[in-house]
Amino acid sequence: MSPIDCEQVLLQIELYLDGELEPSLRVEIDGHLGACGPCMDRSDFKSHLRELLKARCGCEDLPPHLLERVEAALVEGGSTQE
Amino acid sequence: MARSSTAPLGDPALRGRFERDVLPLLPGLYSAALRMTRNPSDAEDLVQETYLRAYRGFGSFEEGTNLKAWMYRILTNTFINTYRKKQREPVTVQDDDIEDWYLFDRIGAAGVEASAESEVLEKLPDEDVQRALEALPEGFRLAVLLADVEGFSYKEIAEILAIPIGTVMSRLHRGRRALEKALWETVRERGLVTD
Repeated sequence: MSPIDCEQVLLQIELYLDGELEPSLRVEIDGHLGACGPCMDRSDFKSHLRELLKARCGCEDLPPHLLERVEAALVEGGSTQE
Repeated sequence: MARSSTAPLGDPALRGRFERDVLPLLPGLYSAALRMTRNPSDAEDLVQETYLRAYRGFGSFEEGTNLKAWMYRILTNTFINTYRKKQREPVTVQDDDIEDWYLFDRIGAAGVEASAESEVLEKLPDEDVQRALEALPEGFRLAVLLADVEGFSYKEIAEILAIPIGTVMSRLHRGRRALEKALWETVRERGLVTD
């Protein structure tokens, strides 16, 4: 079997970064990225983009009263079931 | 509903488990709620309603299965049922002209050195990144949020959104491309590249 080329690697990079590839293909791509700077740059960029989203969109400060509000709602509303 | 509605309340162990395992998910759920509703007041209401529904249904949650995915499913369903009525949106994005490497290639073409493309992204203010995500149409926004921000697998997202895995992949792929285009516009507006 011939080794995976740049075009094939870049087509699979989204699945690769999402951790959704089967192990044998994953290993092939690992090998290619280790040896191919331009593909590695592209892979790093997409990976960085995901980290950026996670860091900027997933870490809102919790409004100080919200935990209290939720706990109060559970005490009050949690038992009013039919 | 009736079967699961009263169990947690009469059972101190279950109640304790809810407080120990579910309440700590609050910060993440609030962030996600904010990205969904795009406004703090609605996000607080959404989170509160989510916790109420979860609390009432906690008796039917199977211990050992994925609690975080279970909570995000309730959050997503509550959001869709409550807020979608208010915010009718198209279920598609205009992405015919967006290539797979849209942002990377444009930053590179603007004269940024190889391997330094990511540094441009770092300079984007938080609000700009949040606005770009929040501007995506709902189906795409939810898929990208659940994958990239919350780290769920395709299978988990398919279960949370009750859509096939193929649809998850398509929404993610297209949503991410639309997001790259929006981020590129922001990069240019902010003057982060000179082209």
